[in-house]
Amino acid sequence: MKLPKTYGYLKKDLDFIEAALHQTIQAEHPVLRSASTELLDAGGKRIRPVFVLLAARLGDFDLEKVKKVAVSLELIHMATLVHDDVIDEAELRRGKPTTMKLYGNRVAMYTGDYILARALEEITTLKDSDVHHILAKTIVEVCVGEIEQFKDKFNWDQNLRSYLRRIKRKTALLIATSCQLGAVAAGLTKAEAKKLYKYGYYIGMSYQIIDDILDFTSSAKELGKPAGNDLLQGNITLPVLYAIQNQSFRTHLEKLFKHPESVSGIEMNKIINTLQDTGSIEMSYSLSNQYLQKALRTLDELPNRRAKRTLQDIARYIGKRRS
Amino acid sequence: MITSGMDIQYLIKQIEDKINHQYIEQIVGKPHIDESKLVILANLVGRHPSLSEIEKEKLVITAMLVQIALDTHEQVPTWFKPDISNKEQERNHLRVLAGDYYSGLYYLMLSEIDAFDLIRTLASAIKEINEYKMKLYYLDYNFNGEYIDIVKKIEALLIYYVADYVNDSSLNELVGEWLIINRLYNEKQNIEDHKESTLLNKWLHNNSNYTSFISHANSIIQTKTDTLNELLDVLPQQYGSLKNYLNVKLNKENQSKASIVEEG
Repeated sequence: MKLPKTYGYLKKDLDFIEAALHQTIQAEHPVLRSASTELLDAGGKRIRPVFVLLAARLGDFDLEKVKKVAVSLELIHMATLVHDDVIDEAELRRGKPTTMKLYGNRVAMYTGDYILARALEEITTLKDSDVHHILAKTIVEVCVGEIEQFKDKFNWDQNLRSYLRRIKRKTALLIATSCQLGAVAAGLTKAEAKKLYKYGYYIGMSYQIIDDILDFTSSAKELGKPAGNDLLQGNITLPVLYAIQNQSFRTHLEKLFKHPESVSGIEMNKIINTLQDTGSIEMSYSLSNQYLQKALRTLDELPNRRAKRTLQDIARYIGKRRS
Repeated sequence: MITSGMDIQYLIKQIEDKINHQYIEQIVGKPHIDESKLVILANLVGRHPSLSEIEKEKLVITAMLVQIALDTHEQVPTWFKPDISNKEQERNHLRVLAGDYYSGLYYLMLSEIDAFDLIRTLASAIKEINEYKMKLYYLDYNFNGEYIDIVKKIEALLIYYVADYVNDSSLNELVGEWLIINRLYNEKQNIEDHKESTLLNKWLHNNSNYTSFISHANSIIQTKTDTLNELLDVLPQQYGSLKNYLNVKLNKENQSKASIVEEG
């Protein structure tokens, strides 16, 4: 079963949010409008709006209010993506040319800044202290995480703890915040909102670990970018961290990535094969699974509604994701 | 320096403390704090009767954080050149994240005092500034009135939005004139120092005609300075410190121009 099937009954709400996303980024300048729209049309799973909707359905659901939270969170995510592509000098995202590739860095910078500004304009129509305290802290933490990731590029001495802290800021925080803000927007208690935050955090951790695994186990076609791309960019992810416990593999990688620009596709394939032989992929799946179990346990005390069952299904689906 | 009850050096220190990030400073360096804009904002906000001292301070600091974020992103090159050093490339990449970080700090700071309307005001300013930046980027350069008008808007819009927020647009015309003069001074200086001009990059690349730009810029500066002086003459007394500040800046630029003429 594909992930969207687990929340198929949200389609009407998701279409409503999708339309709102389009409406929100209708810039006056035609290129700014095109760049923003192309980014949106490139797809993506809209996983953040899904979590906002599901968390909100555990309380007093008000689609208008929830829409503002969901749209803002997705726009914030989009703004970070367009800027990330400048940093990575990425030519493709989800198999399509990036804003940077199509229009250059300057337009990509303006597009990201514009989208973030639209997200803040949208969310400030809600005069809710909790929403803004949570979201502002999350945005700054995400930025700090991005800076940490940048700082740690090709740092072979980092440990599991620093990797987990990094993926928390990079991915888990925004998903956790999506769940929490959905709960806040629907008037759930602070304790319930905190539980949903934790669920989102554990799911986000698991999701990112699997994403990091797929970078080594999926084909370039499935990924929409070259296999092993994270490593080429200098990001030491969990499968690599486990694999470099093998000293000779570590020495080989350190030597090879002194000049990452000259690592060929054939060499990368060899690295991927060796990495898979170390058992690091299975170890990574095991850690991801531990997070998923925690996510499922966190849901236990929440109201027994359809949305809760969907959150459980999503957790199980993520655990089985292999492409 | 005391301006309208707001101490500029104190505000600079507050901004520096806020944006302090060891790694960014190590790689990118300390961001430039635009003193002119800070002084204008302090004057604009400093005498506002319905804002508390804390609110005034936060308003000025967050508006400056937004300016710093925008300026930092403006330093990301139009295209990455293949022949630059790894260090330079690292600096360019980190500028992207640094700008995002400063931008996040403005939201965080204002969310702490529940200043939702101000968050929205500054976000609207960022949105419109980026619309104008796009316009400028795709405009065929001929250094005409439209070009200068767009540059003026990019420079002044943040302050116009703050002015609108505090319901006082009395400084807008003067602010626009000064900021375009100041920008042209800075661009001239950048060209004279053989640095890249972010504003005129495309045009200079096409024409390599620095002398022509400088003479054109001088003539615009002269016209704008005349207008600015007229506006300063009728500026209400409550803005005395701003008047002094701008007069000092204008005299300094005039003296520097005179010394260049004398040196030949």
